[in-house]
Amino acid sequence: MIATNVRRLSFYLLLAFAIVSGGLSWWQVIDAPSLDARQDNPEVIAARRSMPRGSIFDANGRLLASSRVSDGLSRRTYEDQAFTHLIGYSSLRFGTSGLERAWDDILTGRTDPNPLNDVVNDILDRKPTPRDLTLTLDARLQDFAAAQLGGDAGAVVALDPRTGAILAITSTPTFDATPISGDPNEAGEPMERIQDQPGNPLVDRTRQGHYTPGSIMKVLTAAAALDSGAITPRTTFREQPRQETEGFVVEGFRVREHDLSPVTPALWPLSEALQVSSNIFFAHVGLEVGADTYLEYARRFGFCAPLEIGQTSRVLSVAASFVTAEQDGDCAPFSDRAELAQASFGQGRVAVTPMQMALLAATIANDGVRPVPYAVRDVRDHAARPGSGPSERVIETYSPAGGTRVVSSQVAGQVRSAMVDAVQGQLGRLYAGAGAVANYGISGVMTAGKTGTAELGPNTPPHSWFIGFAPAQPNGNPAIAIAVIVESGGSGSGRAAPIGGAVMAEWLRLQSAAGN
Amino acid sequence: MLLPLLLLVPLGFAITHMATSGTADVGPMQIAAAYVVLMLAAHFVLVATGQRGDPLLLPLVATIGGIGLVMLNRLSPDVGETAAFGLNLDLGTTQVLWFAVGVVAMLAVAIGLRDDRILRHYKYTWALAGIGLLLFTFLFGTEVNGARLWIYLGPIGFQPGEFIKILLVVFIAGYLAEHRTLLRDAVWRLGPVRIPPLPYLLPMLAIFVIVMLVVVFGKDLGTALLFFGIFLTMLFVATGRRSYVLIGLVLFLAGSFVASRLFDHVARRIDAWIDPFADPSGAGYQTVQSLYAFGRGGLFGEGLGRSLLPTAGGRFFGVETDFVFAVVGEELGLVGAFALLGLALALVFRGLRVAVLARDDFSAMLAGGLTTSLGLQTLIIAAGILKLIPLTGITFPFVSYGGSSLLASFIIIGLLLAISHRSAVGAEAETAAPGEPDG
Repeated sequence: MIATNVRRLSFYLLLAFAIVSGGLSWWQVIDAPSLDARQDNPEVIAARRSMPRGSIFDANGRLLASSRVSDGLSRRTYEDQAFTHLIGYSSLRFGTSGLERAWDDILTGRTDPNPLNDVVNDILDRKPTPRDLTLTLDARLQDFAAAQLGGDAGAVVALDPRTGAILAITSTPTFDATPISGDPNEAGEPMERIQDQPGNPLVDRTRQGHYTPGSIMKVLTAAAALDSGAITPRTTFREQPRQETEGFVVEGFRVREHDLSPVTPALWPLSEALQVSSNIFFAHVGLEVGADTYLEYARRFGFCAPLEIGQTSRVLSVAASFVTAEQDGDCAPFSDRAELAQASFGQGRVAVTPMQMALLAATIANDGVRPVPYAVRDVRDHAARPGSGPSERVIETYSPAGGTRVVSSQVAGQVRSAMVDAVQGQLGRLYAGAGAVANYGISGVMTAGKTGTAELGPNTPPHSWFIGFAPAQPNGNPAIAIAVIVESGGSGSGRAAPIGGAVMAEWLRLQSAAGN
Repeated sequence: MLLPLLLLVPLGFAITHMATSGTADVGPMQIAAAYVVLMLAAHFVLVATGQRGDPLLLPLVATIGGIGLVMLNRLSPDVGETAAFGLNLDLGTTQVLWFAVGVVAMLAVAIGLRDDRILRHYKYTWALAGIGLLLFTFLFGTEVNGARLWIYLGPIGFQPGEFIKILLVVFIAGYLAEHRTLLRDAVWRLGPVRIPPLPYLLPMLAIFVIVMLVVVFGKDLGTALLFFGIFLTMLFVATGRRSYVLIGLVLFLAGSFVASRLFDHVARRIDAWIDPFADPSGAGYQTVQSLYAFGRGGLFGEGLGRSLLPTAGGRFFGVETDFVFAVVGEELGLVGAFALLGLALALVFRGLRVAVLARDDFSAMLAGGLTTSLGLQTLIIAAGILKLIPLTGITFPFVSYGGSSLLASFIIIGLLLAISHRSAVGAEAETAAPGEPDG
């Protein structure tokens, strides 16, 4: 009797030992890579202090970041402040941020890009080999975009809509990360100076900035409405011309039109409504779509959850954009029809990141397929003399990840054509004409786009927005999609649209000069 | 059987010395040699005195202890000297001296305890002695790391909890061996639940209360968990009723929940368990750092002498006691940690085999309880470090540094040897004279 119970006990103890062994395997093997990458892991701290660290180059091999070890201390130098937010810093005092953080294990060589080699290195107890990164970005375009923003606070995000490769991503004001990435004892004072600067230079506006989008949101509204069948490109709303002057009351809330002059209100279908950016029209469209369907399309475009830049496990996270109030990190349901009506033209509780809006433009440009944005093109052997360019030995190349279809190809085409009208059409030219690449010496290329003027209340100048892409002719092989915001920059047409047009034109010029 | 296993110890010492000194020199070998000689001597004494106990117990213990000694020798420069026996000695030396004390105690019990009546018949006396020791610790003990566990007799400190554990097992074994049929065939019904008659439950409820007092006043969660686990397991072995264990676990969880509401230090433990990374430099520091150590170890380990755990954080404590398993994981990898767990499991299985083969209920209960205490202790500390359960301070038997733990663990092995010796002799007598009623 007791013997039987003891045998049963031995089974339970065996089970308990098996569970403990499972826990052991979890921490030692399965979860080990993420433990090994944590900032306060003594191994990481020791490695960063004295070990060489890989360099970072732009797409053309221009040096952006490199390290030098002297007196047992690894010091890092950053060449271009336009890249500060993307690359981040590697500081012995303040830890790491940006790509320096996401790719820390590769840059220090703690992990091999190839997991198989990792096991071999572990067995042979090999020393870590630092690796270099090549970005998808072109420093010339990045610098150009940063210069366009000038002294204003704002952000530019541009990507290749076909691949998701980021071409420019810059946030102003910026700062020099070199002084905080050297001797930890001397990093405190420069950091304080950065923190004291006006405009919060430490904030990466491209990924962390939360802005009211204004009219650029109408692109999403149009795509959702066409794809869900709520409207066709020819749908009109009979009361709309009258409401343009009288206002449109939704559940006690009066949707007002912005100043339409010199245009006279008429019965507008989608193209004209987008050209003059009619709030009344898009309020009607949003209500036709309905609250649930609207949220569903917002989610498909990437709203309501954090986005990621990168296709591997090494990613930069992008703060979630919201259509409604935030609720547990997700979009709450619309509280009423008035909120839905306002969201449809980008006001109300909508809060977006520039990255999300660039992705919206890229999705329309890419035939309705949302690309996966990424910024690191390849990993290479560490260049012995980084100043004279990257190594020829490429260890791992990251090809574009497949995107997700958000709306049908046909709908993407309809939205694209309305966006082309918004920039180049007879009415649109009055508002977003400055976004056309034709203004910047690129002829024979159509531009699609939409401006936004995000109203912030009576006493604050509005944020100036532009999203767009080019070339935008049917089957035109779109080369660049862009989102531009200038904080309190006034109307979208006045400040953001010219920047968008100029940056896209600059990219097309660089591309044709390279022979593509 | 013993010799090849023991060769691991000098080898481990040599590798450690080479790795830390960077030379091809094997370094000092006195401690390793002393350990090998000690274990071989213990083996020969057992053989020479005709001790016919389980022949695998000592080799398993010697191997587990050997791994422990290699780790402690490696940790000794990091931890520094310790005061023991009135002398300042390094960790390895102290531990090997404690091994000697433990082995002598084991031999004395294994050879001297030919008759278990002294344990069986005086169970209440043993229980009283245990409770007395417990109270004495509460009243006059010294508080270390927030838990009152130590009694100092002159220069030698010891942890009574380790010995109370054995007394507890002796008492429960005696009590259950006597009343187990009653407990098993319980007739009282409380709705759908069948419970044993109250008078027979009372001694067990008393133990439950005492255990909870340990939690509350001694702030010693690990020992409380161990005591209660031993109690429930023995109840299961005696009655075969899983419901007792379930009821007991529910009571324990409820008690712990109340304790976490009433006492800050318990609540902090629970928080640090649920998410140690929320406060990686404060409440979660110990857990986070030891998980990092496991992560760094990976499959094959960093190699002896290469653990960052004792030095890199700068303020990690308990690397030679509660957290020695994390160092094993870091330096010997998953492979080494698996090996250590496997050896511990093998020891548990041998101990349970002693219980299965025991000649009478008391011996079976005693062997089962003692083995369970070793097994549960290993599980509790390993699971605690691995964040499977809240972390509680308790030693890894035969591996952690500490005289009381080592001495108590060797006494347990001595008892198991004595019990299995009687079974072997009894079985032989039976075959020699068939038909004789068994004693």
